[in-house]
Amino acid sequence: MIRAENIRKSYGTRDNRCEILKGISIDIEDGGFTVILGASGSGKSTLLNVLSGLERPDSGSIFYDGENIAELSDDSLTAFRRKNIGFIFQQYYLLPNLNVDRNVKMGAELAGNKDYADIINALGLSEKRRKLPRELSGGEQQRVSAARALAKKPSVLFLDEPTGALDEETGRSVLDYICRLRDELKFTVIMVTHNANIADMAKTVIKMNSGKIVGQYRNQTQKTAYEIGW
Amino acid sequence: MIIGAKDVCKLLGIVIISACAVFVSTLFLNYNLDLNGIEAQIADESRALYDALVMTGSVVSAVSGGCLLMTSVVMLCFYIKHYIDSHRKELGILKAMGYSNIRIAAGFWVFGLSVFAGTLAGFSGAYLIMPAFYSVQNESGLLPDFSAEFHPRLLILLVIAPTAAFALLSVIYSFFRMKTPVLDLLKGKPDSKSRDVAAKDNMPFLKELKKITLRGRRSLVFFIAFASFCYSAMVQMSFGMGDLASEMMSAMTFMIGVVLAFTTLFIAVTTVVRSNAGSVSIMKIFGYSGRECSSAILSGYRPAAAAGFVIGTLYQYLLLKIAVEVIFKDIENVPVFEFNVQALIIAAVSFAVVYEAVMLCYSRRIGKISVKEIMMEAE
Ligand SMILES: Nc1ncnc2c1ncn2[C@@H]1O[C@H](COP(=O)(O)OP(=O)(O)OP(=O)(O)O)[C@@H](O)[C@H]1O
Ligand SMILES: [Mg+2]
Repeated sequence: MIRAENIRKSYGTRDNRCEILKGISIDIEDGGFTVILGASGSGKSTLLNVLSGLERPDSGSIFYDGENIAELSDDSLTAFRRKNIGFIFQQYYLLPNLNVDRNVKMGAELAGNKDYADIINALGLSEKRRKLPRELSGGEQQRVSAARALAKKPSVLFLDEPTGALDEETGRSVLDYICRLRDELKFTVIMVTHNANIADMAKTVIKMNSGKIVGQYRNQTQKTAYEIGW
Repeated sequence: MIIGAKDVCKLLGIVIISACAVFVSTLFLNYNLDLNGIEAQIADESRALYDALVMTGSVVSAVSGGCLLMTSVVMLCFYIKHYIDSHRKELGILKAMGYSNIRIAAGFWVFGLSVFAGTLAGFSGAYLIMPAFYSVQNESGLLPDFSAEFHPRLLILLVIAPTAAFALLSVIYSFFRMKTPVLDLLKGKPDSKSRDVAAKDNMPFLKELKKITLRGRRSLVFFIAFASFCYSAMVQMSFGMGDLASEMMSAMTFMIGVVLAFTTLFIAVTTVVRSNAGSVSIMKIFGYSGRECSSAILSGYRPAAAAGFVIGTLYQYLLLKIAVEVIFKDIENVPVFEFNVQALIIAAVSFAVVYEAVMLCYSRRIGKISVKEIMMEAE
């Protein structure tokens, strides 16, 4: 169970301060699939960073099974992420000097996972294993980023627009693969997206606007990646 | 143009090194010129001393001036390459908009200013210390008294000419670098070196990362070896100099060795850390600890440092041996020259301590790189 209580986060210096998250409280159940929807600039990525322990909130708490990660030291926070968290970022953030294989290995090794080649193949990257990130298209980089996160076998997976650079067919297959792995490994998924159709796949949908939660609902049935509109 | 004063300031290494080079060369060349002026007054019994002094002057300014000059050239090219690498997006956009290579490259002349600042400082410094230097050189009192004159041709040779040459070098070198196609600049050039080093499945990721980091930055391996070479050679030489020449020469060699070694070491390590900051921050996001990141990135340079040290030891030994046997062979009671084990130990221990301290400092800095670094970088 992940529980966030009254999270606030601002950026900027004193004179030019801008509150991005204005008191956010949410509960996310273990093994669930949660989608966060919201307009560009509404603070979705910032919320994801705070929830995943990349950034500390200015105030508020984030409990993972009762432990408040907002109070952890930097080192403990790093150890916490190592053990629990996987990310797929909007901007991919691959290691530029390492080929696809090694980028995925970076994640895999943290989980002692030696079978990461399966994940690379499943995401359609088997031909690209020896390529460097800059030799890949945007969508291919996005899939490497997904492979790396999945190879880490996280207990909570954070995804920031994981299909933003993908065409419909590839996008559906990536989402489908993530869902299948989730069924198998039972990790929690928290996904940010612009695409309201993807929300039909989620159990819980949270709507954000200008740093606040403006709505939340549960889907009675969850569609698969091939059933949703695009 | 896009090269600001801040970028030129980063060339501090070149300023310091060119200052050292010109400082030494000015002292000795000026002395030689003045010595030449009084050649007629030299008594026969002081002839050998006179010849030895002239010879020492030429050798010292050629060796140290030359070495330091080479270093500055390598360093300047390194800086420009680094500058272009880290500004490749802006430069690529300029090119895409239709600026010609030569037009962009022309802006790089300002890098030559660093050499101007350095050589001018070294030149002025030499004139400040010259009276003291002259009296030390003639401690024995065998030569007639003479005082330092100002030689304008030295100003041209040691300040104006290097400045012009380095400004030109900057433009030419950056011109060749700018020939990279626009798209390679914008996306980053595929670097064949770092591609496809046979992936060994059983090798741990951090080890692989260490290997690839080293391989992709050969120039930095060279710089670190060079730093330890300078330190080893100059510091050990300064012990020998104390007996063979004068305390002053010994102190000067020592200072130059230390300055050169630490400037180079500092620049190399700063570059290593800065160019890996993005990768470190990604690794931290995934939960690698600061210690794991810094050992993968910094610990690979020890063998290079050790190799540089050994070469430096041999180099100084041979150089002094030759100096004693060739230059001073006609002069009486030159002390016997032997390999100085004590100097070796002192130099080795002090270098190891400083090297490890610098690395420790920088691994702290890597430890402090925030996970947000990469996000700031992308914006
Ligand atoms: N490091 C920062 N410093 C200052 N402002 C920031 C910083 N990071 C984000 N912001 C601001 O916070 C706001 C929310 O950013 P965020 O990236 O969370 O939006 P988002 O909802 O993910 O948008 P998008 O859908 O476009 O990715 C933006 O207005 C942005 O300018
Ligand atoms: Mg975002």
